[in-house]
Amino acid sequence: MKNWLKTALTLVWKDLVQEWRSRDMLTAMLSFAVLTLFIFNYAMELNPASRSEAAAGIIWVVIVFAGTLGLNRSFTAEQDQGCFDALVMAVPELSVIYVAKLITNLLVMLFLTVLVIPIYSLLYNQSLFMPMLWLVLLLGAWGYSATGTLIAGMTVQTRMRDLLLPILLFPLLMPVNMAVVKAAGAVLAGSALSGYASWVNLLLVYDIIMTVLSILVFEYVIQE
Amino acid sequence: MSSKNKLLTPLTLLSVVILLAAFAMVIFYAPVELTMGLVQKVFYFHMSAAWVGMLAFLVAAVAGGLYLGRQDLKYDRVSASSVEIGLVFTAIANFTGMIWAKPIWNTWWTWDPRLTTMTIMAFTYIAYLLLRRGMDDPSRRARFGAIYALVGFASVPLTFFSSRLLRTIHPTIFGGSSADMAMTGQMYQTMAVSLVAFTLLFAVLLWHRSRLAAGQAHLAELQAAQDEALFGGDSDE
Repeated sequence: MKNWLKTALTLVWKDLVQEWRSRDMLTAMLSFAVLTLFIFNYAMELNPASRSEAAAGIIWVVIVFAGTLGLNRSFTAEQDQGCFDALVMAVPELSVIYVAKLITNLLVMLFLTVLVIPIYSLLYNQSLFMPMLWLVLLLGAWGYSATGTLIAGMTVQTRMRDLLLPILLFPLLMPVNMAVVKAAGAVLAGSALSGYASWVNLLLVYDIIMTVLSILVFEYVIQE
Repeated sequence: MSSKNKLLTPLTLLSVVILLAAFAMVIFYAPVELTMGLVQKVFYFHMSAAWVGMLAFLVAAVAGGLYLGRQDLKYDRVSASSVEIGLVFTAIANFTGMIWAKPIWNTWWTWDPRLTTMTIMAFTYIAYLLLRRGMDDPSRRARFGAIYALVGFASVPLTFFSSRLLRTIHPTIFGGSSADMAMTGQMYQTMAVSLVAFTLLFAVLLWHRSRLAAGQAHLAELQAAQDEALFGGDSDE
């Protein structure tokens, strides 16, 4: 078990260092996120009256769309020069790869969230530093990464690759999308926890089910 | 490839007969609903098609799980066939629902939980078929198909539950706290026959489609063997 955890953390560290050296993906994701915010601004005529209501939905959509760019890349580093075979040989159990990639993707999503929310606050002059909002977004990002990592592991091995990921992923994410937007909307509207507790519970249930299920089936994703 | 099972032809004929009987019952036997009028009659096939759509997803997930456990391509063929048929029935359920919703809810579409869930389910089916088309290796195609069927099946109840948390205007006909639509005995009988007809039709279609898939796999094997015999294994050229 100790060995298992150590291997997972080593893999996470490897991916983070690799990304940090070029910062290609993070730059692309952040630019994409800000550009999407601008598109929303003009598409929806965000005036002060409607923006509190819409804020939760827009922030989540921006994070989800930008997150797809990151997910698409999460297995591509190992595609070159037989690195994937080396990775498979290096781990005690194949599910370690899934857990490591899940943690990496989650950290990337959180990093993106930490940058996008202040930018949103700045652009719209609306303070978003609320602990419960962060909790909801954390649970949402977990569910997103849990399902997304599993799907990305499969789509990278198909012909259509990047094209296929959102098509496969978005239908599975419907509960997360609904729950995050509703719960975050309630937080922004200033309602008490009891008003959106069922959405938070739903997120937790989704996250746990998808993580456990993915760990169980992941060995079939890379079995050759 | 196994020869045709003796049961298949009689079952196919039986499903046609029951389907025609259900049709006749819907038209001639079931009474016209008091407030909704004739359009309510679409309900019998709507409900049956929706049931088959969900059943098909269950079958696909179970067959997918069996494939992962036993690595026998037979289960993969059942799983993929079930998804194909399920997509058609889900579409039928959605379209018949729209025909009913326009006069009754005064709109073709509404963000109702069951409606939304069925449509998301249809998109999951489409994604499954696209995923399979992106791979040539039968074993990988089967593994990924099975995984996606399982994960999709796990997410559908959550989608339903989350959209139910929002709101519903769908008539609750069974097991709800208040029945929105009271059904008479003749209506129940018609519905039961429709359900049996659609379920049997699904079983028969699944059987035919799986046989077809088995035939295709066999043909591919024969062609590969022929290529090898003709070109000495250099089948890439």
